[in-house]
Amino acid sequence: MNALMLASDITRRPVVTLGGEAVAQVKDVVFDGRAGRVSGFTLSGRGLFSGPLRQALPWEAVTSLGPHAVMIHDDTALKPRDEVADPAEAAHGNVLGARVLTDTGTNLGHITDVVIEVTATQALVAGYEITPAKASGHHRQTVFIPLARTIAVSGEALVVPAAAAEFMADDLSALEKAIPEFRNRMSGKEA
Amino acid sequence: MDWWVWLVAVVMLLAAGTGILAGVQTRRRRGGVIVVRRTRPKGKGKAA
Repeated sequence: MNALMLASDITRRPVVTLGGEAVAQVKDVVFDGRAGRVSGFTLSGRGLFSGPLRQALPWEAVTSLGPHAVMIHDDTALKPRDEVADPAEAAHGNVLGARVLTDTGTNLGHITDVVIEVTATQALVAGYEITPAKASGHHRQTVFIPLARTIAVSGEALVVPAAAAEFMADDLSALEKAIPEFRNRMSGKEA
Repeated sequence: MDWWVWLVAVVMLLAAGTGILAGVQTRRRRGGVIVVRRTRPKGKGKAA
């Protein structure tokens, strides 16, 4: 299993060149819903009054995603923002706050964070932190659900298989154990 | 009006302005997770 991290831990992390210069900070994580992986980051400036930048960082240009900084080779890694995230999609595509529905139509809650599995070559979306719906019977403030490879997600709603409700985890370490079991279950169903 | 009334008014106005500016800045810098339907093609040409 590779490192699991929350998207909220990545946002506001500095983007630093291998020369040691902090050129920006991460604003949004851009998630390719169809491929189920992180395709890049939108950026904001480092100064007190600096806002969003017109440049963004594609995942291919990230040399390392560490616990304290996102490392890039140099500032030529930054590309125009619309090459990484379409502005029209970005305006309506924030999954934080989106409703989580099962494919049988049950509301599980709302997304509060996204769990990212970082491997040597890519960053996959491995699950979600959600605020459970009252009807789900969970009394914790937030729980984690694993993610199947095939998903439907938008800024409005995330549709998950009904089986995902059986694999809800209380914390990230429990989710780490639940992910392979859930994937085994789903691959067994697809076979 | 007394001078201190003007002073309080100016201080309150400055505080409100700073608060609004800080709120706008926080909103501009707040992060999220944006879903895109597909990875954008590299380069300027559009995919067929």
